[in-house]
Amino acid sequence: MTGMVPGWNTLRQVGPAAAFYVLFFLGPLLILFLYSFWTMDGYTIVPGLSVASYVEAVTTSLYFAIIVRTVLIGVATAFLVVPIVYLLAYVMLFVLDDRNRRLLDLVLVSMFSGYLVRIYAWRTILGKEGLLNSALLQLHLIDQPLTFLLFSNFSVVVTLVGLLIPLALLPMYSSMSNVSREHLDGARDLGSRGFHLHRTILIPMTLPGLNTAFAIAFILSVGDFVVPTMLGGAQGTMIGNVIADQFKGSGSNWPLGAAMAFLIMAIMLAVYLVVTRALKWVTRW
Amino acid sequence: MGDAVVGTGRDAIRTSAPRRPELLFARLFVAIVLVYLFAPVVVTVLFSFTTSPRLSLPIEGLTVNWYANAFSNPLFGRALGNTILLAVVTALGAGALGVLFSFGLVVLRGRVRGILLTASLVPAVIPVLVLGIALAVFCNSIGLAQGIRNAAIGHILVALPFVILTMNARLETFDFTTLEAARDLGASPWQTFRDVTFPLIRPSVMGAGLLAMALSLDEFVVTWFNVGTEQTLPVVIWGLLRRGINPSINALATVVLVSLIVLVVLSNYLNRRKV
Repeated sequence: MTGMVPGWNTLRQVGPAAAFYVLFFLGPLLILFLYSFWTMDGYTIVPGLSVASYVEAVTTSLYFAIIVRTVLIGVATAFLVVPIVYLLAYVMLFVLDDRNRRLLDLVLVSMFSGYLVRIYAWRTILGKEGLLNSALLQLHLIDQPLTFLLFSNFSVVVTLVGLLIPLALLPMYSSMSNVSREHLDGARDLGSRGFHLHRTILIPMTLPGLNTAFAIAFILSVGDFVVPTMLGGAQGTMIGNVIADQFKGSGSNWPLGAAMAFLIMAIMLAVYLVVTRALKWVTRW
Repeated sequence: MGDAVVGTGRDAIRTSAPRRPELLFARLFVAIVLVYLFAPVVVTVLFSFTTSPRLSLPIEGLTVNWYANAFSNPLFGRALGNTILLAVVTALGAGALGVLFSFGLVVLRGRVRGILLTASLVPAVIPVLVLGIALAVFCNSIGLAQGIRNAAIGHILVALPFVILTMNARLETFDFTTLEAARDLGASPWQTFRDVTFPLIRPSVMGAGLLAMALSLDEFVVTWFNVGTEQTLPVVIWGLLRRGINPSINALATVVLVSLIVLVVLSNYLNRRKV
C-alpha cells in the first residue's frame, strides 16, 4: 500500500504546478499588492507604505463615478446571465433531456469563437449602419437608425452577456446535473409546480452553481476593458480601461493602477458575498 | 419528425414528462439563446467574404480579397508563427503541469484535496487584466524583458485551471484498481504510469492539451501586457480594431475562429471517448 499513501510521490506530482502558481500567480499578485502602497514622484516609483493611491482612487470624482458605473454594469450583466444560464441548464437537463449533450457542445463551441472576434462582430451588428438598424429600416419598423444601440451601456451589456453565457453555463450545468430526475419528479408528484418547484427545490439544490455562475459573470464583466474600449463610446469608460492605462498607455502610474486593481477585487468579493447571502436567504423564506 | 415520435414514447412512459407548452417554450428559448451566441460568428464569417467595405446590408457581392489583404499584412507571418509557438508551448506546459497535478490530487482525500483543487482553479476567476498586469510588474521587477517568453508564462497560467478541471473530472471516474493490480504484479511506479495509466488516459490528456491550445490561441489580454513589441494574431487584430473598420479583420478573425473550432471540437471528442 505504500504507493497509495500520500507522500513523496504525491508531492512530486502536485509540486510543479504548485510551484508554478506560487512563482507566477501568487508572487506577482503579492508584488502588485506592494506596488499599491508605493508612490509616484514625477516619473519614478518610490517604495513605501502609503495609502495615497487608494485615497486617490476613491476621492477623485471621475474615478469614483467610473467605479460605480462599472459595478452597475457588472451587476446588470450578472443579473441577466444567471437567469439565462439557469433556465438553459434546466431546459437542457429536464425538458429536452435527450439532446442536452449536443446543445452543451454547441454552447461550448461558441465560447471558443474568438474573444476579440465576437466583440468586433457586435459592433458590426449594432452600429448606426449596422445589421440590426438596416434590417429594422428595411422592414419599416423604424425610419431613423437607432443610435442607442452602439457606444452605450446597452451595447456593452449585450456583448458582455453574450461573452459570459457559455462560461457561466458550465458550473450551472454541472450543479444541475447533480439533481436527479426522480427527485424532481417526486416533487412534481407531490404537487409542486412552476415557480414554486424552482423556489423550493431546484434553486436551493443548485445554489453552488448559481453562486459560481454569478461570480464568473460579475467578476469577468467588471474586470473587462476590451468591451468598453470597442463598444462603450466616449462616456463608456470602465475601471478596467483606467487600470490598463496605468500600465500600458498615456498616464502610466503603476501604484495607482495596482491600488485600483485591489480595490475593485475587494468590491468584487464584497458584492459576491452580499449576493450569495441574499440568494441563500431568499430560498429559505 | 422523429422528435415527435420519440417525444410521444417518452410521454407515455413518464407521466410527469414536460407538457407541450413547456416543450415549445423550451425550444424557443434555446433557439433564441443560440441565435444570440452565434450571430457574431455568422456575421464575422459572412462579412469576410463580402465586397462592400461598409459592413452593412444588403450584401453587394462576394470576394476573397480580404483574405489576400490580411495575409499580405507584413505582420501576419510573424504573428502566425508566434501564435502557433505559444499554442504548442501552452499545450505542453499546462498539459504536463495540469496532468501531473490532477494525478497527485487523486490519492489525496477529503479536505486537502478540496483545498488544493479549489486553489488551483482560482486564476480562472481572477480578471485576466489583473493576471496580466501582475505578471508584467513581476517580470519587470525581476528583470525578465517582455516578449514571447513572458507571454508563454501568462498563457500557461491562464490555461492551467482549465486543464486541471478537465483532467480532474476524467480521473474521478478512473478505475484505480487497475493500477494496484499492475503494482501487485511487480511493476515500478514509472512502469505502471508508462504502460498502464498513460495509455488509458491519453485521449483525455490530448483533449486537455487541445483545450489549452485553444485558450492560448484566443488569449489577448495577458499577452498584450507581456508580449512587448512582438506580435500574435489577437494582437494584430487588436491593432487593426483600434484603427477602425477594416474588412480584413473579419478575414483574420475567421482564420482564428476556424482554428479554434477545430481544436475545441477535437478536444471535446477526445474527452468524451470511453476508455
